[in-house]
Amino acid sequence: MFGIDNITNNNGWAMAVVGATTVFLGLIALTLVISQIHRILDLWENRGKKLNGKKKQARSEDKHKVAAPEAKSNRLPTVSELTSIYRPLVEQLKEPFQLIQLFEKTKEMNLPHAHLSIKSLQEADILLAQGDGTFTWNKLKAN
Amino acid sequence: MLDLFYQFLTNTGYYLADYRHVIMIIVGCVFLYLGTAKKYEPLLLVPIGFGILVGNIPFFKGFGLGIYESNSVLHYLYFGVTSGVYPSIVFLGLGAMTDFSSLLANPKLMLLGAAAQMGIYFTLLGALFFGFLPKEAASIAIIGGADGPTSIFLTAKLAPHLIGPIAIAAYSYMALIPVIQPPIMRLLTNRKERLIRMPSGRQVSRKERIIFPIVGVLLCCFLAPTALPLLGMLFLGNFLKECGVVNRLAGTAQSAIIDTATIFLGFTVGCSTQGDVFLTPKALGIFFLGAVAFSIATASGLIFAKIMNLFLKDKINPLLGAAGVSAVPGSAREVHLMGLKEDPTNFLLMHGMACNSSGVIGSAICAGILWSFFI
Repeated sequence: MFGIDNITNNNGWAMAVVGATTVFLGLIALTLVISQIHRILDLWENRGKKLNGKKKQARSEDKHKVAAPEAKSNRLPTVSELTSIYRPLVEQLKEPFQLIQLFEKTKEMNLPHAHLSIKSLQEADILLAQGDGTFTWNKLKAN
Repeated sequence: MLDLFYQFLTNTGYYLADYRHVIMIIVGCVFLYLGTAKKYEPLLLVPIGFGILVGNIPFFKGFGLGIYESNSVLHYLYFGVTSGVYPSIVFLGLGAMTDFSSLLANPKLMLLGAAAQMGIYFTLLGALFFGFLPKEAASIAIIGGADGPTSIFLTAKLAPHLIGPIAIAAYSYMALIPVIQPPIMRLLTNRKERLIRMPSGRQVSRKERIIFPIVGVLLCCFLAPTALPLLGMLFLGNFLKECGVVNRLAGTAQSAIIDTATIFLGFTVGCSTQGDVFLTPKALGIFFLGAVAFSIATASGLIFAKIMNLFLKDKINPLLGAAGVSAVPGSAREVHLMGLKEDPTNFLLMHGMACNSSGVIGSAICAGILWSFFI
């Protein structure tokens, strides 16, 4: 038998279509998978860094938490101690800031002696009055 | 005494030879010439050409000399072809020699390897149209994959009586890539397209290269388990190479093992082309359809690359589509040379190799699919 009849009788059309489709789908699947291998590897290899990043973040949060109880003691901290406690708070504010904003931050962090501490920082010229009711952080003095 | 001399004369090849042996010996000499003088795929054409010479020396049947006679040495060597052992071993070596980095760096090029397999299915229809039986048609169609070992493997499983002509056709067209592909490339692309530059691929890590053969063998062999003898060995060879802890095995696979298999494969396939069983109208039909298959495969890759360019922001050089056939590294080299002719600073070799290696995977999957249709 020859011609189209031979193709039809031997299921030729179906074999061609199924075969072509299958090889295409197979290689498309392989393409998709191999195009993702390096991304998956990146994720896997950087999982440590990401975990460390989270740990660091947690540690810095802990620092604040740790700083607060220390500052809760009846003794007023020294200026240098106050500087290290208040610097992270000031960094969260946009300069120049009003003292009320700094007070609110001290409340959030549950810091004791807020008024006395801020007064000490003012006297040490670490909090500089701008003359319009706002203040800035004197980085030179604070260092 | 005269009788004895006459009897001796009638036993010589000179007396027993007919025109078919002479034709095949001339074909063998042409193969040796192309392989030696022109350096067209010498690793394949030299053993095949010499095998054709040996296989076409006439002899008295029944002495246990010929490749088709049981108990002959050649018959035992030929077992590696008919059982599919040699193609599998060649794939092991091929895997150990192949660097898939360029493919991993630019995975979309794998689609060109898939597109170039369309030649196989068009030829399947063509062979059925010309009256071949379905298993014969599938064996002829796989020539379109331009992969000698794959063609031999599938033919050994489906139509063992056609191994000789199909293997010769497949290897001939692989060797004639510099003659067949460039006119099709020029016909289907314009200068502007041939000038497209491909961006250099990203750096591929060793881990990616190690993971690829594992992912490849699982994905492809789950899809077409009948391709296991080929793809399993291909990816095993590649894993040996990439894992870095079995360098001795990888070194042997990419040198001694593949070389031994290539010698026996080429030589016994050449021997199987005995004029009296080879020169038939069917063999001529196979050669014609093989050329059609190869040309359609090349054209499919080129056209598909152009279609991809309609949707891609970063255009790909459509010449790379021609390298989607699995003739490693012949077609990648042709693509590279064609690109260099248009622009001497445009290097397409590595991108071509990516398409080539995906073509190897694609044609092995096709062989598995075609075989599974007849199980």
